[in-house]
Amino acid sequence: MNREMQIIREINGEAEIFYDDAVNLGQHAAQTLKASHRSQLTGLENIAESAYKTTDILDYIKKQTARFSYWRQGFSRGGHPDEGFGERLKNYLERELPRKRDSISKRLENSDKTYEEKQERRRIYLLLMRQFIHHMVIEYEYSVSQDNRH
Amino acid sequence: MAKLSEDQLQKIWFLSDTVLYPEAVAFIRRLVNDEQCSPLPTSQVKGLENIAESYKYDKLYHFVTHQRDRDWPVSKQSIKTLYTNLEKDFTIMKNRRLKDEFHLVSEGLNTQEARDEINALMAALAHEFIQHMVAENGLLDVAEREKRAREQSNRR
Repeated sequence: MNREMQIIREINGEAEIFYDDAVNLGQHAAQTLKASHRSQLTGLENIAESAYKTTDILDYIKKQTARFSYWRQGFSRGGHPDEGFGERLKNYLERELPRKRDSISKRLENSDKTYEEKQERRRIYLLLMRQFIHHMVIEYEYSVSQDNRH
Repeated sequence: MAKLSEDQLQKIWFLSDTVLYPEAVAFIRRLVNDEQCSPLPTSQVKGLENIAESYKYDKLYHFVTHQRDRDWPVSKQSIKTLYTNLEKDFTIMKNRRLKDEFHLVSEGLNTQEARDEINALMAALAHEFIQHMVAENGLLDVAEREKRAREQSNRR
């Protein structure tokens, strides 16, 4: 298996593990952004898909959190009444995903010493962010469609 | 303006994620949390973002020094402090870090080519730094506004 395939397999493996967290944040988004602010999450997903840098995604989340009060609302139904959606998402991406990147890098015997290895780690982190956001947005779409039915 | 190579752009994106982002966040947090500065107001943010988007370092540097040297009233001394610190950091980046730490400067260029390349590199790096700083500034600004609102509501 070539290097690229190994990376993709590892990312998919980690995505299985963080799936429940992505679902929970997707439900948080559904409660706070509701269907009326769908463009906020499609915007986030577009940024994630097109970004060359992980920090473009983090900066976008910060900007939307500062700009719109609904990004700052807690998730009363999901046990996070005091932590806003944007803050929770940013914290997850900044704190949890780097640990998963480190685990993948270790398994791939990336020692983080050379410039090339550092760039690969950065790319793994970006791919993890994309996967997480993708799963979260799918859950958001599902949750708002369920809410609209009731 | 000099055109940056694919390798230089890759390196700038790498530096943006690994060096400039944590530095920009620390920069604005230090000013607001430790030096009691107010977050940069929206009008200043817009001006700084617009000038950074032009990717012309001479214009950006002129803007920063102009804002630094303005005769700000006491209530807006935070703005002066921020631009004073920003100018210092950008100057260190241009004179030292660009070559010695970031290893971005090409070898074998004539004086004019080297000057153009340095300006293009600085425009790109400063753009990244400002984007990160402004994003963090927004969070600090809203946190401060919410704190003030809570205090006002507690007083009532």
